[in-house]
Amino acid sequence: MKELNVNGAVMKCYPLCAAQKLHNYTIRFCPAQVLCIGTGLYVQQEVDFGMLKRAIYKAYEMFETMRLRFIEDENGEVYQYITPFEERDIPLCDFSDRDEEEAHNEMRKWTALPFARYNSPMNQVIMIKLPNGYNGIYLKVDHMTMDSSSIIGFNRAVLETYCSMKYGTEMPKPMKSYIKQLEKDLAYEAGSDAKKRDEEFWKNEIAKDEPMYTDFSGQGRLLTQRRENNNPNQRWAMVISRSPEASISVYSLEHEASMRLMKFCEFYHVPMASLLLMGLRTVLSKFNDDEKDVSVKTCIARRGTLSEKYSGGTRVHFFPLRTIMEEDMTFLDGVRMIQAEQSRIFRHANYDPIEYMAKRRERFPTQAGASYESISLTYQPLTVDSNTKEMPDIPYKSMWYTNGVAGQPLYLTVMHRPEDNGLNFNFEYRKDVVTEHEMQYFYYYLCRVLFRGIEDETRTIGEILEMI
Amino acid sequence: MLEKIKEIIVNYVEVNPDEITAESRFIEDLGLNSYDFMCMLGDLETELDIAVEEAEVVKLQTVGDAIAYIETLKS
Repeated sequence: MKELNVNGAVMKCYPLCAAQKLHNYTIRFCPAQVLCIGTGLYVQQEVDFGMLKRAIYKAYEMFETMRLRFIEDENGEVYQYITPFEERDIPLCDFSDRDEEEAHNEMRKWTALPFARYNSPMNQVIMIKLPNGYNGIYLKVDHMTMDSSSIIGFNRAVLETYCSMKYGTEMPKPMKSYIKQLEKDLAYEAGSDAKKRDEEFWKNEIAKDEPMYTDFSGQGRLLTQRRENNNPNQRWAMVISRSPEASISVYSLEHEASMRLMKFCEFYHVPMASLLLMGLRTVLSKFNDDEKDVSVKTCIARRGTLSEKYSGGTRVHFFPLRTIMEEDMTFLDGVRMIQAEQSRIFRHANYDPIEYMAKRRERFPTQAGASYESISLTYQPLTVDSNTKEMPDIPYKSMWYTNGVAGQPLYLTVMHRPEDNGLNFNFEYRKDVVTEHEMQYFYYYLCRVLFRGIEDETRTIGEILEMI
Repeated sequence: MLEKIKEIIVNYVEVNPDEITAESRFIEDLGLNSYDFMCMLGDLETELDIAVEEAEVVKLQTVGDAIAYIETLKS
C-alpha cells in the first residue's frame, strides 16, 4: 500500500491483484473497450424510477468496488483506491416507443465506449424503459473492477433494495470489505508459503510433455501454421489475430433439456462445469481428427469463503484444463476425470495466471500470442433473481451486451436464465476467425455430445464420436 | 473433529453451525460448490497437518465421510 495524491487529497492506494493485472495486460494489445462489460436487467412491470434511483444509490453505497478507481504513480505503476460515496447522475433512457432491437443496439454502442483509465469512475448505470412494458437498468463496468459474480451481486442488491423500499421486505445483507479481501490476496502474492506451494504445483504441471492445440473449427489453423513454420510437429497455434472485432451469439437451451443436464449432475454428483467441459473437449476431439489430448481454458471464479463471495471486485483466473482420454473411456468416467482434474486445479488457482503463462513459454518456446487452447469456458451458476420472492412470476429479461472486441478467438459463457433457470450458451468470438454459422455448427455438436452422453453414461467416447 | 469441520464450513457458507451434523451433505444440504469444497479441504490440511488426495476427496459426500477419511490419514 502507498499513499498517493488524488486531486489534492491523500488516498490509500493498493497495487493491482493478479486478476486485475491480467486485464491490465490485455489492454496492451487490445483496445481498452475489451474490458467493458455491459448488462441489462429488465422486469415486465411498472417501475417507480424515483425509487429505483434511490435503490441504485443505496447499492453504490454498499459496493465498495462500484467506487473503485485507478491511478498511475510516478513510475507508471497502476494502483487502486476507493472514493467516498458520491451521488452520480443516473439518467433515465426511454426506448419504449422504439423497436426493441434498436434499443439493444444502442446499448451495445454504449458498451463499446471505454472508460477513462485514471482518477475516473469505472462504471455507469442508466435506468431503461424498453418496449412491451419492460423496465430496468443498464450497467456498464470495467472488468478490472468487477467480474460477472460481482455484477450479478450488484444487480441483485438493486432489485432487493427496490423490493425492500416498495414492499417493505428485508434489505440485502451488508457486503464484506473489498479492501480487506484485497489485502489478503496481496499478502498471498507477496511470497507466502501458499504461493510457493502453488508455484511448485504449476512448475510440475508445465514439466509434463507438450500439450496439443485443438481448434474449434478443425485442424486447418494448426496445419497451415505448421506449413508456414516448416515444422510438421508444431503443437501450438497463433490465436491472436489482426482484428479484435468480436460479436456474441446466444443460444438458449430449452428449459426441459437444461433440466436433464442438471439432473444428470445431481444424480452422479458431478459439477455442471465438468459436464460442459466433457462436452467441449469431446467436440474439439471430433473436430481435430479424434485427438485424445485436449486442453480448454477454464474460468475459476475464486469465490470460496464468504469474504470472497461478498466483497465484489474481480477475481477470475483462467488456467488450462488438459485431459488425455482414450476412446474406450466411458462418458461418465470422462466427466469424473475432469471433475478430479478441476479439483486439483482449484487448490492452486490463486497463482498468478500471467506468471503461469510466462513459465510455460520458458518451457515450450512459442511465438508471442501462441496458445494450446482455442476456447475459454466460464460457467456462471448465479442468477440475479434469487431472494426476490416479492416479485414472483414477473417476466425477467437479462442481457449481456458485446463491447465489440475480444482478446481471444472464442469465449463460451454458460449461464442460467433468470426467467426459467434454463441454460444460455453465450459465444463471444472474433469475427475474423469464426463466423456465426460456424458457432451454430459448434453449438449443435456440443448439444449432440452432451445428450448422447447423458442418455447413456456408459457409452464410450469412441461410440459418441461415431454417433455424432 | 466435527467441531473443527463446522468452524471451517461456516467460513464458506451461511449456515447455522448447530445444524451441521455428520449426515449433512456438503453440496445438497450445506450448499457448498466444488470450489468451496476443495478450498475448505485446503484449510483442513493446514489446520490438521494432513495431505488429501484429490481423486479420493471428490468421492466424499457427507461431513461424516470427511471425518472418516481424515481419520484414515491421521492413523
